[in-house]
Amino acid sequence: MPSPSLSIAGFQQKVVVGIADMAVSNNANAMLTTYSLGSCVGIAIYDPVARVGGLLHAMLPDSTIDLEKAGRKPAMFVDTGIPALFRAAYELRAEKHRVHIYVVGGAQIMDNSGFFNIGKRNYDAVTAIFQRHGLRSVAEEVGGLVNRTMYLNLATGQLNLKVSGQAEEVVLCKR
Amino acid sequence: MQTIDSYLDRIQNLPPAPQLLPPLLRLLREPDTDMARGIRLITHDPSLTTNVLRLANSAVFGCGRRVETLDEAVGRLGFETLYRMVVAVCGSRLLGPSQRGYGFDPGQLWQHSVTAAVAAQLLARECGEDESLAFTAGLLHDVGKLVLSQALEGRYAQVAEQVEKFGRSMLAAETALLGVQHAEVGGRLLDRWNFPPSLVQAVWHHHQPDAAGDFVRLAACTYAGNMIANLIGHSYGIHALALEGHASAVGSLGFDADRFQRCMIRTQEQFAEVESMVQVGH
Repeated sequence: MPSPSLSIAGFQQKVVVGIADMAVSNNANAMLTTYSLGSCVGIAIYDPVARVGGLLHAMLPDSTIDLEKAGRKPAMFVDTGIPALFRAAYELRAEKHRVHIYVVGGAQIMDNSGFFNIGKRNYDAVTAIFQRHGLRSVAEEVGGLVNRTMYLNLATGQLNLKVSGQAEEVVLCKR
Repeated sequence: MQTIDSYLDRIQNLPPAPQLLPPLLRLLREPDTDMARGIRLITHDPSLTTNVLRLANSAVFGCGRRVETLDEAVGRLGFETLYRMVVAVCGSRLLGPSQRGYGFDPGQLWQHSVTAAVAAQLLARECGEDESLAFTAGLLHDVGKLVLSQALEGRYAQVAEQVEKFGRSMLAAETALLGVQHAEVGGRLLDRWNFPPSLVQAVWHHHQPDAAGDFVRLAACTYAGNMIANLIGHSYGIHALALEGHASAVGSLGFDADRFQRCMIRTQEQFAEVESMVQVGH
């Protein structure tokens, strides 16, 4: 008689990344989560071989408006946050050529003047940095009038999204 | 105005008035604030007093030794700070519950309101406006949503259609569907509750600050505080960011795009204070 199989499901730990913050981990039980991206932009990265993931919640595009702040809190800005996120992931043996990148957020308000279009400027800053470093996202969900919450499952590398005002989470697929 | 008045008259359950706030605001505006009278007003409400003291002893506001009475709290923190704590506790009672018509879960409108209040206060400080008024206006700016939420319940698809198909803001969607919008309703409600005209106008015109007459600058602080809360992501529900941008309103306060972004940073730095106020009612 075959012995009964025993599966041990790991206890999933939700790691919450606040605004202007980031986290990296190689703990397969971790779910990196960041809530409510409005005009902020969320960058998730995952190396499926090293099983290392990272999540950044950047608020503003350009660190030159407050360099002192950028020194203390690089995750506040897209231009200092993305390099910091990758450096932290490399320390856990992630490798650039293997990393899957997801970009979420950068929502807009209805503003023809452009004064408040921080979401677009955040996304443009992401694109510029990706170009400079030869990076390319595998999937994106940006713009619009909604805010979004993102969850990166470090066991699988799957990225889920929840849009404000909608009941269900959706999986952000690779393109 | 008549429409809104009759609209309010028809509503069965208006939210309970935060009765303490108008007299406290009046006291604050007096040249020699009678703090003892203010404290007497607060102590009439034992649960309010308990929650204010809890907030005064929280990690953010507390400074060393525990305060046991409101007198000690005023001595340590000043009457303006105590006033803001009272606004926060009263506001959490009012704005804490879910508002299903807007798709707000419990606590979400409250968190949005506290962030807008802290941002409006910061902006007021930067441009020399009254900080306590700006904080109060920021906190109560969406009070009209408490009234309209019921009417919007079950009409998600219609609201979404207004935004997605017709390109309307949430404010315009309310007008199209209900004939009224939350900013006017909120202003009218505050007027009924005997709040000063400055606050009534700031809330009434928090989406169109140019129309606020003598109180344009306070309305602009409220408008910009709301914008910061929304942009930062402390904003929830259906099409949370379907709001109109009025750069001139923020420009008239002396803010260019960079200075406005720095105010977003300063608001984020106040999140510990925001969190302790968000938690106060729980």
